[in-house]
Amino acid sequence: MWVTALVSGIALGSFYSLIAMGFALIFGVTHAFNLAHGELVVLAGYVAYWLWKGWGLSLVFTFPVAVAVLLCLCLILQRLFALLREPLELNSIVMSFGLAILLQNGMLFAFSGDYRLIRTPALTEGVYVNGLSLTYSQIALVALSLVAIGLLHLLMHHTYLGKALRATIQDREGAALAGINVRGMGLVAFGFGAVCIGLAGPLYGSVHYLYPAAGLQATLIAITVTIFAGVGRIRGLIVGGWLLGLAESAAVILLGSSWRELVSAVILIGLLVFRPRGILGREEG
Amino acid sequence: MERDVPRKGALPGLERGIPITLLLGLVFLPFLARSSGYVLQVFTHALLLASLALAWNILGTGGLISLGHAAFFGVGAYASGLLSLKPALSPWLTIPVGGLFGAGLAVIVGVLCRRLRGAYFALATLAFVEIPRVVTDNWDGLTRGSLGLVGLPGLPVLIIGPWRVEIGSSAAASYYLVLSYTLVVVFLGALLWRSNLGLALQAAREEETAARAVGVHVDRYRFLSLLLSAFLTGTSGAIYVHLTRYTVPGLVYSLHFSAVPVIFAMCGGRFTILGPALAALVLYPVDQFLFHPLLPAGHEFLYGLVLVLVVLFMPGGLWGALRRSP
Amino acid sequence: MLAWRATMLCCLIVLILVGPSVFAASIKIGDIHPLTGRLATHGLESHQGVIAAVAEVNEAGGLLGRQVELVSRDDQSLPDVAISRAEELCAKEKVVGLTGGYEDSLVGAVSEVARKYQVPFVASASLQKELARHGNPYFFRVAGLQGFVEPLCDFLSERLRPQRLAILHAGTPGATEFAADLERCLQPRGFPVRLAEKFRPGTPDFVPLIAKLAALPADVIVSGGFFADHILLVRQIKEQHLRPKAYIGPWGVAYETFLKEMGEDAEYLYGTAAWMPGITLPGTEAASRAFVERCRRLFKREPSSTTMHGYTAARALLAAIEAVLRRGQPPTGANVRQALAGLDLLLPMERLSFDERGDPRSYRHVVLQVQGGRFVVVYPPERATGSAVYPAPP
Repeated sequence: MWVTALVSGIALGSFYSLIAMGFALIFGVTHAFNLAHGELVVLAGYVAYWLWKGWGLSLVFTFPVAVAVLLCLCLILQRLFALLREPLELNSIVMSFGLAILLQNGMLFAFSGDYRLIRTPALTEGVYVNGLSLTYSQIALVALSLVAIGLLHLLMHHTYLGKALRATIQDREGAALAGINVRGMGLVAFGFGAVCIGLAGPLYGSVHYLYPAAGLQATLIAITVTIFAGVGRIRGLIVGGWLLGLAESAAVILLGSSWRELVSAVILIGLLVFRPRGILGREEG
Repeated sequence: MERDVPRKGALPGLERGIPITLLLGLVFLPFLARSSGYVLQVFTHALLLASLALAWNILGTGGLISLGHAAFFGVGAYASGLLSLKPALSPWLTIPVGGLFGAGLAVIVGVLCRRLRGAYFALATLAFVEIPRVVTDNWDGLTRGSLGLVGLPGLPVLIIGPWRVEIGSSAAASYYLVLSYTLVVVFLGALLWRSNLGLALQAAREEETAARAVGVHVDRYRFLSLLLSAFLTGTSGAIYVHLTRYTVPGLVYSLHFSAVPVIFAMCGGRFTILGPALAALVLYPVDQFLFHPLLPAGHEFLYGLVLVLVVLFMPGGLWGALRRSP
Repeated sequence: MLAWRATMLCCLIVLILVGPSVFAASIKIGDIHPLTGRLATHGLESHQGVIAAVAEVNEAGGLLGRQVELVSRDDQSLPDVAISRAEELCAKEKVVGLTGGYEDSLVGAVSEVARKYQVPFVASASLQKELARHGNPYFFRVAGLQGFVEPLCDFLSERLRPQRLAILHAGTPGATEFAADLERCLQPRGFPVRLAEKFRPGTPDFVPLIAKLAALPADVIVSGGFFADHILLVRQIKEQHLRPKAYIGPWGVAYETFLKEMGEDAEYLYGTAAWMPGITLPGTEAASRAFVERCRRLFKREPSSTTMHGYTAARALLAAIEAVLRRGQPPTGANVRQALAGLDLLLPMERLSFDERGDPRSYRHVVLQVQGGRFVVVYPPERATGSAVYPAPP
C-alpha cells in the first residue's frame, strides 16, 4: 500500500512540478503573480481536447498546437502585466484574479461544465511487478518532468540567455545596471512559461479531467511548489512537486480522501508564514 | 497616490445626489416593484453583497487585500445556522454570534499572517478558505458534514409593542432588514473612516514606513480592522443563511463569496466609503437582469472582465473616479 | 366581394372552433435543472423527461383543453443560482408548480423557495431524508433514499455476502446519507464496512485510495459517486490491477452512455436503476415503450433512468393540476398541493403516491449487472432476467 502511494505521489508530484514550472519562471523574472495560471493550463488542455475530439489528432500532435496558442496568449498577458502600476505584486494578483474568473467562465461558456477526458489507451497500460502497478502515464509524467527540468536547468546555467534570466531573477535593478534588457527578459520568461503551460495542459487533459473550475486548484499547486523551491530555483521545483504529491498521498492513506484538499492549502500557508523565501531558497542578504 | 480628499468643485452635486437618489429608490423599492417579487429578491441579494463588499473594504482601508473572505462568511453562516437549530436560539441572537465566530476565525488568520503583506497576504487568505471548509465538511458530529443544514429557521420575528412582523415570511420585511443592516455597515464604515483608527489605517496603506516612523501602531490597527471586517462578514453570512434556509459547505465557502467583495470594492472604489456598495447595487442587478438572460452559461465572466479593466485603468474604482473628476 | 366575405366567414368559423383552446389561458409550470456546470449531463436528461411529459399531455389535448406551457431555467449546478431561478419562476413567472432538480443541494434550496411562495415542487431526483422531514407541505419527490438502500442491502446480504466491504461516496448530501444508511442496514446483518471514505466530486486521482482498498483487500466496493468519478475510479482500479469481486455504482453506471464510455471495462460492473428502456414495472410496458419512442423522436437519443425521473415528476404535477381543474377549482398552489397528496398514478418507474412527508411510497431500484455489453437485472428475483456473475472473472 505504501509503495503504491509512494509511486503515485511521485508521479503526481512530477506533474505538479511541470505545472509549476511556467509559473516559477514568470514569477521569478517579472515578480508578477499570475493567479490565472491554472486556467491557462486548463485552457491548453481544452485546446488539445478539441483537436483530439474534433479533428482526430493524436495526443502527441496536440502539444505543438497548444504551445503555439499559449505563446500568443502569454504575449497578450505580458502586455497586460506591463500596464500595471506599483505595487506590482498586489496589482498583478488582483488583475489575474479577474482574469481567472474571466477565463473560467469563458471556458464554461465555450465547453460547458462537463468533464472532458482525452482517452489514450496506450497510457493506461503499464508494468505490473511484484504487486506494484506502474502505468505508462505515470512513467511518462516522471520522465517528462525530469527532462523538462533538466532542459530548463541547462538553459539557465549554460547559456547566455539563461545567465541573463538568472541575473534578472536575483536582482532586477542590478541586472538593469549591468545592461540586461529587463523588459526583454520578461518577455522571454513569458515565452518559456507559455511553452511549459502548453505542455502541461494536454497532459492534464489525459491524466486528469478537464473542467472549467479545475484552474484554481492547479494555480494554488503551482504557487505552493514555486514558493517551496524558492524564487528562481529550478531544480527545487522537482523536489517541491514530489514532496507535495507524497504529502497528498500520505494524507489520503492516513486521514482519508476527504482531507486531501486541505494538504496543499496548509502547506502553502505554512510556507508563506514561516518561509516565504522558500525552504530551498537562499536567504537574500 | 490615491488619497481620499474630496475636492471642492469636484461635482459636489453628483457626489451627494447619486447616493441620496439611490437611497430613496431603495427605501421605496418594495412599493415601486410591487408586481415583481423577483426584483425585490434580486435587490435583497444585492444589498447583502453590498454589505459584504463594505465589510471587506474595511480591511482594504488598511491596505490589506483578502481573497478569502468566504472563510468568515461561511463560519458566520454555519455558526448561526447550527445555533438556531440546536439549541434553537433566535436568529436575533445567532446572527451577531455568527459575526463573533467570524471575528474569532480572524484572530487565527491575524496571528498567522501578521508578518505578511500585499500579495503574500492575499495568497494566504486565498488558501486559508480550505481549512474551515474541509473541517466543516468532515466534522459530521458538529456540522452535519456534507449533509448540510436543511430547513433552517428563517429571519426572525420582530415584536415592537403591539406590532408583530414575521420578517422571514415577508419578502418586503426581509428586504428592509437587509437594507437596514447594510445602512448600519455603511455608517460603521464612515465612522471608522473619520476616526483615528481609520486615518491611521489610510496612512499605513499609503506609506507604511512613514506611518511607522511617526508612531502609528500599524500592526495593531490592521489587526483591529481585520477583526471588524470579519465580524461584519460573518454577520452577512449568517443573514444569508437565514434568508435561504439551506446550506452545504460548498455553498458558503465558495470562491464566489471571496471574489464578489473584491470585485465590487475594486470596481466601486477601494478608497471610498460608498464605492463598494454602489458597485454591488449596480453590477449585481445588471448581471441578473441583463447579462444572465443573454448568457446563461458563464455570464459571470463580466465580473472578471470588469475587474481586469478596473485594475488596469481605474484603480480608484468608478465611484472614486467620479468623485475626483474636475 | 363575395370572396372577401367568404374568407371572413371561414376565419370566423375557424376562430370559433379553435378559439377556446388558443385563447384559453395556458397552464404554466416551471422546471429548474442543472443544464450547465458539473451536473449538466444529468440535469439535461431530467429536463428532457419533463419536456416529454409536457409534450405527451399537450398532444392529448392539454389539461381539460388548456395547453401546458413549460418555463425552464438553468441553475448551473449551483445552489445559489437555483434559489434565484426558483424565485424568478415563482414570483415573476407565477408558475402553478415546479419540478426538476438533480442533486440535494439544489433541490433543498429550491424547496425552501417553494415553501415561501406556496408553489408545489415535485423533485425528480433527491435523496436526503431530511428534506422531507421539515414539514414542508409543498415539497414532493418521486425518488427517495430507501429505494436505493433497501434493494442493495438485501442484495448484498442475501447474494454477495461480502467479507471485506468498502463503501466510497462523494461529498454530497445524498451520497453521504446513502453511505451511512447502507452501513446501518448491513452492520446488524453481519456485514460490517471495513473501509468507508468520502471524496470530493471531481477528485483527479484515486490511486492512494485504491492502494488502501488493495490493502484490505476489498472484495466488494460500493461507490456512491457520479458519472465522472466512476469512469476515473474504474479505470484506475484496472490500472492498479485491483480485482474486486464486485464493483457497485448505485448512480451513474446504469446508463447507456456509461457503457459507451467504458466499453469492455464496464463488464461485470453493477448498477441500480428504477427504470431503463426494457426494464419497467409489470403492467406498464406499453406506456414505457411509448415514452421511449417519444424521446427518440424529440431528442434523437435513448432516454435514461434520469430522463424517466424527470418525466415521472412532471407527470405527477400535471396529473395533480388536472385533478384540480376537473373538480372545477382554480389551480392555486394550495389546491395542487392537496391533489398531489392524494395522487395514485401507475407509471413505468413506480406506482406513484406520496406519503405525508412528500416521499414516494413505492420507489425501489432493481440491481443490474453488465453482462456481454448489456444490462441484466439480477435482483430482486421476481424481476430478474438473469443471475449475477459473482465473483467477477478476471
